[in-house]
Amino acid sequence: ARTPGKTVSFSKTPNTEPSTPTRTGRSRNNNQINLYHKKVQFVSTTPHRLRKRMTAPSLRSDSDSELSPSDSEAEEEDEESTEQEHKVKKEDKENVKAPRTPSKNLSAALYKTPAKKSKSSEPVHQPSMVEEYFEAHGSSKVLTSDRTLERLHTPKLDRETLIRLLEGKPSCYSKEIQQLHKKYCKHFNKWMLQLKLGFSVLVYGLGSKKALLEEFRVSHLSQEIHLVVNGFFPSITLKSILNALTCEVFDHQGSFRTPADQIQFISKTLKDSPDLNVYLIIHNIDGPMLRGEKTQCALGQLASLPNLHLVASIDHINAPLVWDQFKQSQFNWLWWECVTFQHYAEETSYENSLLVQQTGALALSSLTHVLRSLTPNARGIFKLLVKFQLENKDNPSYTGLSFQDFYQRCREAFLVNSDLTLRTQLTEFRDHKLIRTRKGADGVEYLIVPVEANTLVDFLENEEGD
Amino acid sequence: MSTSSVSKGCFVFKPSTKKKKHLGLEDHFTGGCEGAQNSGKRYKLCQDLWDQIKTDTESLQDELNRSILDSLLDFTRKCSSTRQHGDWASQMRASEIPTAALVLGVNVPDHDMTFQSLSELLQQLVTPHVASLQAKECGGMKGLRRVLERLMGTTVTVDDDEEEEPEQTSTETHKSMHCSLGILCDWYKSKTRKSSTGTPGKKRSSPVKDELQQPPVVVIFKDLEAFNHRVLQDFILICSRYIERLPLMFIFGIATSPSTIQNMLPHSVSSLLCIELFQSLSCTQHLATVIDKLVLTSHFPFKLNGKVMQVLISIFLYHDFSVRNFIKGVQLALLEHFHSQPLSVLCCKKKEALANVMELSQRDLERIRQLPSFRRYTEKQDAQEKVNLMTDDTHLKVEFLFYDLRKYHKNYYPVLRCLHTLTSSLPRYPLGKQIRELHLICLEKTVWETEEYQSAMKLLRMLAKDELIASIQRCCGTLKPVKSKKMMNALIQMEEILTKIKQLDENAPPVDNSITSPVKSLSQKKTDLFQLQKTLLEMNETRRTKKLSPFETVRNEALELIDGLVKSHLSPPEAQTLYEVCYYTSSATVRRHLNATPRTSIQAALSNPYHYLQTEDGSVSNAAPDICIAYKLHLECGRLINLYDWLEAYATVASAAEGNDPDSDTFGKVDEVKHARFIQAVSELEFLGFIKSTKQKTDHVARLTWGGC
Repeated sequence: ARTPGKTVSFSKTPNTEPSTPTRTGRSRNNNQINLYHKKVQFVSTTPHRLRKRMTAPSLRSDSDSELSPSDSEAEEEDEESTEQEHKVKKEDKENVKAPRTPSKNLSAALYKTPAKKSKSSEPVHQPSMVEEYFEAHGSSKVLTSDRTLERLHTPKLDRETLIRLLEGKPSCYSKEIQQLHKKYCKHFNKWMLQLKLGFSVLVYGLGSKKALLEEFRVSHLSQEIHLVVNGFFPSITLKSILNALTCEVFDHQGSFRTPADQIQFISKTLKDSPDLNVYLIIHNIDGPMLRGEKTQCALGQLASLPNLHLVASIDHINAPLVWDQFKQSQFNWLWWECVTFQHYAEETSYENSLLVQQTGALALSSLTHVLRSLTPNARGIFKLLVKFQLENKDNPSYTGLSFQDFYQRCREAFLVNSDLTLRTQLTEFRDHKLIRTRKGADGVEYLIVPVEANTLVDFLENEEGD
Repeated sequence: MSTSSVSKGCFVFKPSTKKKKHLGLEDHFTGGCEGAQNSGKRYKLCQDLWDQIKTDTESLQDELNRSILDSLLDFTRKCSSTRQHGDWASQMRASEIPTAALVLGVNVPDHDMTFQSLSELLQQLVTPHVASLQAKECGGMKGLRRVLERLMGTTVTVDDDEEEEPEQTSTETHKSMHCSLGILCDWYKSKTRKSSTGTPGKKRSSPVKDELQQPPVVVIFKDLEAFNHRVLQDFILICSRYIERLPLMFIFGIATSPSTIQNMLPHSVSSLLCIELFQSLSCTQHLATVIDKLVLTSHFPFKLNGKVMQVLISIFLYHDFSVRNFIKGVQLALLEHFHSQPLSVLCCKKKEALANVMELSQRDLERIRQLPSFRRYTEKQDAQEKVNLMTDDTHLKVEFLFYDLRKYHKNYYPVLRCLHTLTSSLPRYPLGKQIRELHLICLEKTVWETEEYQSAMKLLRMLAKDELIASIQRCCGTLKPVKSKKMMNALIQMEEILTKIKQLDENAPPVDNSITSPVKSLSQKKTDLFQLQKTLLEMNETRRTKKLSPFETVRNEALELIDGLVKSHLSPPEAQTLYEVCYYTSSATVRRHLNATPRTSIQAALSNPYHYLQTEDGSVSNAAPDICIAYKLHLECGRLINLYDWLEAYATVASAAEGNDPDSDTFGKVDEVKHARFIQAVSELEFLGFIKSTKQKTDHVARLTWGGC
């Protein structure tokens, strides 16, 4: 297997403007992003394309002529690219003062570079974005290599190792990141001013903005009543936010029938005391639990109150889809771009990350906890099921333990005496989400425990230890 | 207390109430602004203007809504009074629920205010029983019972002990289980009985309200299209059964078009309603009035330049049609202007500005000297003047320049309006149909040099007499209230022209026969092609050298006058000195704050990290951040991405970036640290929404974005 290419070209000019529906040159942008215009027929072959990068440097320089390459190592000696680099450097100096997001002016600047069109003689048909999409999605067959992560020594790292390894390596951009952070801190006074004048501040940009908002909170909100919500928390709900407001901020001990009533109460309390200012900081208002329509409606209603001031951050690329015109006017957002390039350490630290080995600690503790509250018989029944499942863990066609079989085993162990008691017990397990039932092909119910085998092993060990 | 936790997501911080050093708005304003010496004054000015915008637009809103609210009120009164008549037509009508379909337009954010004022007016003038409903509260029939609760709850303060209702009607506890229309009818009957048995003296004192023995019960559906169809139909069906006992009236707030009623309600249901249509003011008209009041007037000292206006108007036209958001944009521009421009202390009414001019500090005078418009002004002066202006502070003549600016504004707007009245009815609207379009043209370039202006003038030279008279009369009307010498001169001249045209009518027009004969000759004899061509050329000649008729001379005179006015007064503001004091020019800031593109920003940062990560000396290090490398590599892949290959590619690129020796053994190998960095990068990409895990193939992820977007 040939190794993939060495470098990725990062151009120094702010050119490859991803095509937003601006009125200028949408198709032009597409051409520039596509590095491999020779390949007309699009096949999703991951390693093939990656390998090609190594063996065809000339191809790359041709295609990159539109991108004004600025490869740090590879083609410094190449005349074409040095000429372009001069042009690039000139544009760079002009663009230092340019606004932060590449604007239309800069995209006009890059139209100068296509004068140095590729030396390839044949006119190459650049597939447009739409064509590429349909070519790639047209066939359901996907050609990728069959290598799996098992080839690595440690296919999945667990969280502690991950943290340990990452701490050791300092980022090579720490100085620049500090500078960016300082730059954004200068705007805090303006944020306060805008908040008090009735706007809500929305911070967007690549990088975790938690540190920035934390600094804002500590420096400017330490004397005010404020509430911090971690939107990326996997079990945050609207109810918890509203409860925090009513119970802890307003010291109201009663309960409410519906969230609408709670919001009504909050609006009334805030309206009655116009001097009371409450600040709400929501990290990732587009978090997976806060994306729902009802939650956003409720948050919008809260944000439209004059005494409640909202600062929020978004990260997901499709986050603005969450709000329609009405909600946007309720929130009254003022968008601030704060690109921090800081790692999303906390946001990705919860138990839903791709490659991190799920320790299953949460599942184990919940299993133990629930079973401790059940009768010894129930525990015995459950352990039977778990043992049988572990015996069959290597069997790929294991669909579960059938009910009859299970009943037989339980009777033999003197844990149940009738069909009905077992069913009642199973209903209880189902309510606690300890087991899952599936109807097999022959109409028979099969029971499985939806927990990883390792966790079950740990669980049994714990139980035997007690 | 830290805000990171594995168990909870919500943290409350309540400061101790002892130290209460609250920073006011002014401190925040001063905190970050430039030229902090006069920031207090600027803050006050900014606040005044902000309040002025608010009050002006609110009163404007009231005025604009007045007509439609009046007609709605009349409708409400009419339908309740017709109920009492005994003839057949009103009896038929009495069996239908009178409904007002109010077509408000797609700018939903603006509707709130309209409905607020509507329900207040209704409560004051017609009936105390008004309930407003929003679709999101009425998911089912139970939600619609809310309307009953609200109706009964609104008059809770009037309720006395003689209320016979079984359940409590206090606002605290609503027992919705017992609420039904039957109970509502009983409640209504008891209420009207109570009010009718009140003292006769009292009744006479408030005739408007109590003259209706049976005030209608009004239910306002704020956003009709969002209601569940079935729920709405059931509600209408049920209500129509009780119509004799309960004088209900509905108001539908429609955002799209009246045909939605046909779409939502089948004929069986809509026949139970007696629908009357009310159209509210279109949002473009509303915007035109707002612009008239805020922008095209010399009374409001803060101005927006062409680009900023363009940004705000394009957000209005292409995004949301919301006047409220337009006003929010103007307020934002106002705030930014006063925050960033220290010379904005002069952007206020005349007296204050003159006082502030006296108090300008040395630094401010320096700033004035450095303004590009001031520099242009000094270039034009002779050498001695130049030296004086640059060195002598008292000689700076800021007041005179300021006066000039004010005069410019005083003359600009009337002339703009005149030009607009003349050109707004021309075919194909060369200078725009709305005055804001003309204003934008004038703000951005010298209007008299544009092609559109030339074609407009050409068309105006062909104006008929009555149209010319009408336009000039309108112009005179616009110029009359202006208290400026030049405008008064122009007015006198225009009136002279008008009298001249009117005099032309009295004198008999000399009959011009010279042109008719060739025409007659053409039509009478037979010609061949060559002869026809010759005759036509002759006619053309005569027409060109023909003496202009008196009307045409007067017309030309009028147009010369207008042209002169345009050339002297409609120059773009950038040509005036000290325009930076009043005009806010940073359209990029406004656009960035109001109409941002977060996805573009994320993708730009991922593809071009150096754009953001530039150090002060302009150097960049070789290695890009990990997430950028991973992002670029994933762009080369197809629909599914093999994690192992991705990891290998990443390791190779990262090794190369670190400058490792390509021939060494460990080059490109996946070591622990690289593995960890890769995992971090991939988790972040997943968090951002670029990839997601898939079960189609082991250890693969699916790509979620495509192409450049």
